[in-house]
Amino acid sequence: MPTLPATTVDFFLAGLEAFMIRSGQGTHWAVTMLRLHGKPDAVALDRAWQEVHAQHPMLGARLRRLWRGWRLVWETPGPVTAPPVVWHPLCDSAQVNEILLERLCGKSGSGDIRSPLMMEVLPLDGENGPHVVLLTWRHALMDGTGVNLLLEKLAAGGCDRGPPVLPEAKAAPLSRVFQKARPLMRRLHAMTTAGCLSAWSKTAPPPGPPRFALVELSSEESQAAFARLRAACGDFLQMPFHAAAAARAIRLLHELRGWNSPEIHMQLPFQTRGRSRDLLFGNHMGTLPLFIEAAALGTMDAAVSHLLEKYREAMKQEMPQASEALMTLSAHLPVAWFIPAVRWTNQGEICSLFHSHTGSFLPGRTEFAGAGIESVVTIPSVCSPPGLGIFCSDHAGRVTITMAWRGEGVSAAEIQALSRQIRADLTGAAGV
Amino acid sequence: MPEAPITPAAVIELLTAEHILEPQEPIAPDTDLFTLGLDSMAMMQLLLQIEERFHLTIQPAEMTRERFATAGALASFLGEKRRLAA
Repeated sequence: MPTLPATTVDFFLAGLEAFMIRSGQGTHWAVTMLRLHGKPDAVALDRAWQEVHAQHPMLGARLRRLWRGWRLVWETPGPVTAPPVVWHPLCDSAQVNEILLERLCGKSGSGDIRSPLMMEVLPLDGENGPHVVLLTWRHALMDGTGVNLLLEKLAAGGCDRGPPVLPEAKAAPLSRVFQKARPLMRRLHAMTTAGCLSAWSKTAPPPGPPRFALVELSSEESQAAFARLRAACGDFLQMPFHAAAAARAIRLLHELRGWNSPEIHMQLPFQTRGRSRDLLFGNHMGTLPLFIEAAALGTMDAAVSHLLEKYREAMKQEMPQASEALMTLSAHLPVAWFIPAVRWTNQGEICSLFHSHTGSFLPGRTEFAGAGIESVVTIPSVCSPPGLGIFCSDHAGRVTITMAWRGEGVSAAEIQALSRQIRADLTGAAGV
Repeated sequence: MPEAPITPAAVIELLTAEHILEPQEPIAPDTDLFTLGLDSMAMMQLLLQIEERFHLTIQPAEMTRERFATAGALASFLGEKRRLAA
């Protein structure tokens, strides 16, 4: 059977998903929600949907371990039949929310979602009124970059190319890989000694179903946020700016609970160079671990400076390479052992929170399959621990922050306080 | 001894020698660096290399699209920065 090379991040996501399934949290699903001003063109959407499935055998792929060399590969059985695009009857926003939560649980009606991709269209106010498109996807197969590429194909109404041919990475001797991973291993041990907490508590009930909240900035607020970002970080270093707001949010959560965590360990996905920009399925990211001192997060300005310094320090110490090396070493473990091993070495925690800045969805596009786009946002289910994910994205100059957690892991009052602070931190508005 | 001038060729040499960009074809002074994959991780790496090689400190807020669009634009910006620092 044909195979495609798997990366260490594919291993990371497969390990995370294996842990989620074994701890009763289900498959790692995410939903991308598009709000449209009108009805999308059904014929164009269906054609693109069929073509994407026909061109991408990864949609039927399974991660397998080759006995020879103990390598992980994607086994691709061949072209995949597209599941039908589901057109719902008229519904309201509350029903959209209900359906979205059901998809994050991997459910569709009374059964489980059977394919790694599912697309639904929901009319909100009659045949020609606003519509919502829900694209449900399995995180083990794709990431935020892949979703944006997929949205481009669906928006354009066609997919005429399959995946690019990726070169197989050369394996380095394990002794050299170990040396590369050493700085990060030392740092992780220091963090465990210092104490590092997340939103997850050992005494809390088992994690429940996925929950989420959106902090949607208005056009004016978004403009203020972009101006503040540029003044602090220029045109390129958006990640430290958004990560500063996320780190301050988790610090606030600790304060509200009376917890003392001198350090915050963030896992920041970043775009890996060298992977093709045409790769829809398969992960594009690497992870950059950052260790933030909670005491340095007193104000947003101080937090941004601290994050920039930490980002710089991490790059100087070659942390992305160390992270990749550590993952390469870990990838020798059976997938199901990976997160338990991380939890064991990190005294129960995985990290304080997951954060990512996905960037712009559908940049430059105003229409999706012929209908005007109002907003695009992605809502992932998150694993507990760490129990909280804070993600940032934008479309057409409007910024959205997604907070995702599980069950009662974070209370409604805490989410309200976090939302207020994040909004104020990004826009510079007073009144936190 | 005066430092060597910061030319577009010196910038291109830094970008390729330090594997900040790994283009298929040679980079020209007016090649759009963003189309070659100059992203935020690469930018931070570039920032650190500029400090090491040209002894110049760049503030993140100074990193604008215009200044980093091409090797030529970056060389002019760095040259000007060195002149002001002298």
